[in-house]
Amino acid sequence: MKHLNEEELIELYYNEATTAAHVHLRACRECSTQYAELQRDLDRVKAVQVRAPGAEYGERVWQALSPRLIAYQKRPARRHSWVQWKSATVAATCAALLAIAFVGGRYWERHTNKTVAIANPNPPATQRVLLVVLTDHLDRTERLLVALNHADSSGPAENSQLQSDARELLASNRLYRATASKAGDPAMAGALDRVENVLAEVANDPNLTADDLERVRRDMNTEGILFEIRVLLARTPDQGSGPKPAKGASI
Amino acid sequence: MQGNDHSVVQAVLGGNKDAYGALVRAHSAAVFRVAVGIVGNEADAEEVVQETFLRGYQRLGSFQQRSGFGTWIYRIAVNCALDRIRQPEIEAEFRYGEEGDPEERTVQVATPDASPERLLLSREIRGAQQQAMQRLTATEKTAFVLRHLEDRSMNEIAEVLGIETNAAKQAVYRAVQKLRRELAPLRGNA
Repeated sequence: MKHLNEEELIELYYNEATTAAHVHLRACRECSTQYAELQRDLDRVKAVQVRAPGAEYGERVWQALSPRLIAYQKRPARRHSWVQWKSATVAATCAALLAIAFVGGRYWERHTNKTVAIANPNPPATQRVLLVVLTDHLDRTERLLVALNHADSSGPAENSQLQSDARELLASNRLYRATASKAGDPAMAGALDRVENVLAEVANDPNLTADDLERVRRDMNTEGILFEIRVLLARTPDQGSGPKPAKGASI
Repeated sequence: MQGNDHSVVQAVLGGNKDAYGALVRAHSAAVFRVAVGIVGNEADAEEVVQETFLRGYQRLGSFQQRSGFGTWIYRIAVNCALDRIRQPEIEAEFRYGEEGDPEERTVQVATPDASPERLLLSREIRGAQQQAMQRLTATEKTAFVLRHLEDRSMNEIAEVLGIETNAAKQAVYRAVQKLRRELAPLRGNA
């Protein structure tokens, strides 16, 4: 007869065991002795560790916490949903273009590698559109990071603008990041992931103070991210500057 | 409760700060128990609870409605508690507590049968358990606290820790095995 091992005995204790294990336990004296020992050990841990705080505990926590919180700003629901819808549509369109361009870029890359001489080396039209869109996103991100790195939070209006820009960029950034990840561009996906963390921190903080900005700058190394974005921008071919190597076009 | 929590979150994001009080009242006891289990003492656990709900409030905009608020706040609590025990002064306190009087650093539990011998034994067991818990890795300790003390499912534990369900199971098994090994010498005394 195959006895129950310790993992199976632990599963029995936490009611996660199979019916067969239950049946075996009832039939096997050795296993039931071992199970009784495990049960005694674990019950003892429970008895010492658990201490229920009183019923008033939650109220006490809230009273201590409440003065430290600042209410979220109420925004008109209709405008909010319209802005969300509009942003989502723009972001979805950009993502679709991005996906088409990735495929187009890869195809074009293979094509140019195989062909020694090309009659017309310009990338497909969708790809050019996408590069403009993506370059625009990276440009805006760069501007926001520069603003963030130099913000001293002396004016609430400046912070409010920073948050508003961050919220706007956040939705499209998610889609670009997901698409870059799917298309196998780890450099772009990684950079956009780090950008997303910064945007989320700035966008979601209900009370953005100088300390918060300093924390974001320090903890998230926004200078480093800014550098990455500039490198990525350098990878994207400039409009009108003529054809660039195929590698840059796959961004 | 979950659906209700979601509507409260919407109210808070809509500008009703006081609505957050309902979430704090509903979840603070559970967060406290998890915090005590991880940091090992009440004073630090109280700090963790405050920090958890403060961070939760600040990040409420990123709360995904598809998961429960309880699971979400647990995740924040676990991170706060782990941050707390990574602080050098807290680690030093643990070491002090282990070498000195375990009573000062451990949870106080009323013992119904309070004869001097019984109290001494209970104190000895408590100290040994506390030490054994501190020897678990952060993941093992968190998984064990959530499974054993909070009766959370393996799926929930996996979600809180951001790992696969099977990895969460293994973490609980390892924790139980280590604790049993550490506490084996006391088995005859209990």
